[in-house]
Amino acid sequence: MYEAVHAYPDGDATVARQAMTAARYGYDGIVVRTRAALESGDGDETGDENAPMTDPAAIADEYGVDVVDAVEIDADGPTAASGAVGNRRADHAVVCVVGGDDRLNRYAVEEPRVDVLARPNAGGGGFNHVLAKAARDNEVHVEFDLGPVLRETGGDRVRALADLRKLREIVTYYDAPHVVSTNAGSHLELRAPRELVAVAAEAGFDPEWIREGLRAWGSIAARNRERLSGDFIEPGVRRGRYETER
Amino acid sequence: MGIETWPDVDLGRRAFQRALWYSAGNLLGDAGSADAGLKLLSFSCSGGSGEAVVRVRRGHVEEARAAIACVGAIEGDPVGIRIRGISGTVRACEERYMRRAAGSSTQRDVAFGDAERPAVVREDAYDVRAGSEYVGAAAFDIE
Repeated sequence: MYEAVHAYPDGDATVARQAMTAARYGYDGIVVRTRAALESGDGDETGDENAPMTDPAAIADEYGVDVVDAVEIDADGPTAASGAVGNRRADHAVVCVVGGDDRLNRYAVEEPRVDVLARPNAGGGGFNHVLAKAARDNEVHVEFDLGPVLRETGGDRVRALADLRKLREIVTYYDAPHVVSTNAGSHLELRAPRELVAVAAEAGFDPEWIREGLRAWGSIAARNRERLSGDFIEPGVRRGRYETER
Repeated sequence: MGIETWPDVDLGRRAFQRALWYSAGNLLGDAGSADAGLKLLSFSCSGGSGEAVVRVRRGHVEEARAAIACVGAIEGDPVGIRIRGISGTVRACEERYMRRAAGSSTQRDVAFGDAERPAVVREDAYDVRAGSEYVGAAAFDIE
C-alpha cells in the first residue's frame, strides 16, 4: 500500500522523514507529490550539499520503502494545466492534476496523460456521471482525500464526508478507477493503513475498497515507470533481446 | 499507542484524554462514544515523543481505532498517532508494545538547507527549527 504525501519545501517534513515514518507505519511506499522535493532531471538542481536528500533511489534503499517521483499540477485553468502536463509527463512516474473547479476536473478526466485527479471536491467543483465515464475511459484515477475527515472538525468535516459519499456513489457506479490518500503535509499527518481503513469504514466505505485505493498508487507507478523506461515502445512491444529459450 | 509531535509542544495527559473524547464524540456520536468507552490508562510524553495506553470496550476496537486516528491536533498542535497493538490485558500490552520508552532527545546545530540551524535529535529523527516552525527531517538528510 502506498500513501501520497507532500514533502518539504511544500510540506513540513522532508522526503526522508516521510519515508522513515511510512516504513514504520507499514506502507510499501510513498508517492511524493512535491515536485521540488526530489531531483527529477528537469534541471532545478540547486547544487546545495546541505539540502535535504532528494535522490528517491537512495531514500528508498535507506528505509526499505519505495519512493515514487510524482508531480502535482495546480493550475488556474485547463490551458495552463495542459502545458504543465505536457512538460512534466516525461519526467515523473505519477502526474496528478489538482481539481477543484468544474473546468479543471473536466480537463483532468479527459486527458489520458493524467494519472490522478487530486482533490476533486476541494474547491466549489462538482463531480458527475459525465466526468466519471470520462475518467473510466481515460484511466484517470479519482482521488478520495481523507485528509479533511482526519483533520477538520464540525461543519467542514461534515461537508467533506458528504462530498466523499457523493463521489463514491458516482465513481463506483461507473466503475471509474480511484486512489485513496490523506494528503499528509508532514510525518505527523500520516496515519497507518489500518487506521485509515477504520476511519473510512466509519464513513461508510468498504474496507477492501479503501485498500484497493491505497494500492492503486503502486500500480500506477509501476506501469508508468515501465513506460518511461527506454525499452518501452508501445503496450506489448518493448525493445530487448529476443527470447532464446521457450 | 505511540505519539509524536513537535519537540516544543507540551502535551498534557488531560488535554490528550479530552482530545480522545472529543474525537470519539464527533466521529461516533454520543452513543457510539459511550459504547467505545475510550479511557486513557497511562500516558507519557516529552520532547515530541510519547506513548499511551487506552482502554477500549471489547468488540468496539475498530470504532475506537477510527476515533483515535482522527485526533489530528491537540490544542492546535499537530500530533502523529499510531496504534502499535492491542492486547487483552494492560500488562500484556505494556510488555509487548511499550518497550520503546521515549528515547532521550538532544539539542544540537545541524547544517540544513542554506544555514546552520538548531535541531532536536531523537534517534534518527531530526526536528530542525526553521524560522518560527519546525521541519521534520531524518538523519539521512543531515549526513
